[in-house]
Amino acid sequence: MIRFFEKEPYSPIEYTYEVEKVLYKGKSQCQEILVIENPYFGKILILDGIVQLTERDEFFYHEMLTHVVMHAHPDPKRIVVIGGGDGGVVREVLKHGTVEKVYLVELDEEVINISKRFFPTLSSKVDDPKVEINIMDGADFIKKVSPSIDVIIVDSTDIIGFARSLFTEDFFYSVMKALKQDGMFVTHSESLHFHLDIVIEVQKILKKAFPLVDLYSVPIATYPGNWWAFSIGSKKLNPRDIRRPFEIKTRYYDDEIHRQAFLPHKLYRKLMDKKLIW
Amino acid sequence: MLRSFNIDKLHAKLISKPTLFKALSYIDKQIIQTPFLLIDTEKMKEKISLIGENIRNSKVFYALKANPDVAIADFVSKQNIGFEIASEGELKILSSLGIKPAKIISSNPVKSIKFLEMAADYGVKCFSYDSTDEVEKIAKYAPRSNVYVRLSVPNEGSEWPLSKKFGVELDDAVRLLSYAKQKALNPIGVTFHVGSQCQNPYNWNIAIDKAKILWDMAEREGMKLSLLNIGGGYPINYTKGTISIDIIESNINKLILEKFPEDIEIYIEPGRSIVGDAGILVSTVIGKAKRYDEDWLYIDVGIFNGLMESLGGIRYSYIVENNKSKNKRWTMAGPSCDSFDVIDRNITLPEPDIGCLILILSSGAYTVSYASEFNGFSIPKNILI
Repeated sequence: MIRFFEKEPYSPIEYTYEVEKVLYKGKSQCQEILVIENPYFGKILILDGIVQLTERDEFFYHEMLTHVVMHAHPDPKRIVVIGGGDGGVVREVLKHGTVEKVYLVELDEEVINISKRFFPTLSSKVDDPKVEINIMDGADFIKKVSPSIDVIIVDSTDIIGFARSLFTEDFFYSVMKALKQDGMFVTHSESLHFHLDIVIEVQKILKKAFPLVDLYSVPIATYPGNWWAFSIGSKKLNPRDIRRPFEIKTRYYDDEIHRQAFLPHKLYRKLMDKKLIW
Repeated sequence: MLRSFNIDKLHAKLISKPTLFKALSYIDKQIIQTPFLLIDTEKMKEKISLIGENIRNSKVFYALKANPDVAIADFVSKQNIGFEIASEGELKILSSLGIKPAKIISSNPVKSIKFLEMAADYGVKCFSYDSTDEVEKIAKYAPRSNVYVRLSVPNEGSEWPLSKKFGVELDDAVRLLSYAKQKALNPIGVTFHVGSQCQNPYNWNIAIDKAKILWDMAEREGMKLSLLNIGGGYPINYTKGTISIDIIESNINKLILEKFPEDIEIYIEPGRSIVGDAGILVSTVIGKAKRYDEDWLYIDVGIFNGLMESLGGIRYSYIVENNKSKNKRWTMAGPSCDSFDVIDRNITLPEPDIGCLILILSSGAYTVSYASEFNGFSIPKNILI
């Protein structure tokens, strides 16, 4: 049996997957791209040795990354998705009737192509007329975009890889400028179990730019550490509140999950004060 | 497109993800001329809060020699610990920051007269010594000071042994304590140094046993001591994990509780363990060569301008800016024309291009403080991140 060993140096557990078939193996300008077939998870997209998504459980991640801010915002019309070349976030964003425009800003065009070829259920909406694809660095895009955006979503690779420009103070300031008065920003921020120090760091940097910063999480089977955190920066509105009726079709996210997903305040303080020691 | 680096499990054991993120983000934003030394203040803070935590009634004094950068000293002073110094130059750094004299001690057993005068004038009251000449000097230039005698203890198992140069045996030590009293100094205690980067926890056992014998001998001579200065020596991770500070300290604390009076005061003088693993030297590959069957890699920092401890056996870990090339065995050398300037042999790293960066981990201590501009190669600047 062939096995795939995930290469996440900061994961104390090494995740391995049974490989039924290698569907694609290639190198883009940015990274190594691998698509394998696994008997349980279906097709798996792997970038630079790290699992990005599996067909079976991707919806936990994409729904939770997308719908929390989309429901906390009263009227999300203009959306920017940075990274997310697989199309999963775009698919979720377009479930909202309010949306008029989605800028998909992906550095690696190859990811979009590979996703169209192997993950049609994810990439189904990237060619929608509302979607404008920009192949460029998200940090550069955000600096130039007119300040008219309602929601900005970062769906990137690992924070110490080339996506690191999407976690800096400079970037968060340009995000702040690009957003409208009631705009919101969300980014994945790794595992509360294995990368708690990074979660804390991202929260701290976000707080330099945004008046309101919060954290919610979802368990994800296929990301190292599993207890996956999402960090929100908001200009005005509390992201814990839902401002629009929950009317879209989802598999995991709903209005009740929205409220439950945020960390209880006491636990949040404990984490930030580095008092959860284990 | 940002630079990409080859990060593996070993690196993850040596450097935290936020520290690496901060370092790489700094590099993305601006590269001043390499080599330079990035210092993660968060890491320093974390280490400072850890050191002394498990030793009852202890005070911590940062051994400034490890890295005497003014901004580092300023940061350290804000964490409410003291300083251990040896010279006028080090005292000047602290006085420029307005550090209170009560926060300063000197454990250099042989001090210059000028330093003693300056220190006494500044109000420094605590000095170590291990000779009759030093007693006379301190009595003359810093009269009525508190003094502690330096015992020699075994340094086996430390990568940077110190005991041969300093320290005396028990009989001499007790005589020196009496002599200090006779010279109107205040003999308050005893100190030792197990050696820097000490990997052998039993060195502390032996040292503390010996200090206890001296303690009792002094008592029989009518001197009641109150201070045990355990020096430094806590190791940091260079290429592999090492014993942790809380294990070392729990052991030390247990021994002290068993052997010494309850009101004993403990001083700790960490240098390397405060600033060492907070530092990342950023260097550039300046050349490659094949000599017989050896592959040589030349970088812009070497033995003379930062990596002097390589000569004493310290081996570093490197993160290479990568192009996903295969691993190769290298001899790594510094930039100067001196044949001593070889940093490491037989290290396995992916092949970088000329102009690529190499990050040298755990390099915050005894690097820039040892450096010279030999051959015109610049000394790395400290940059706090």
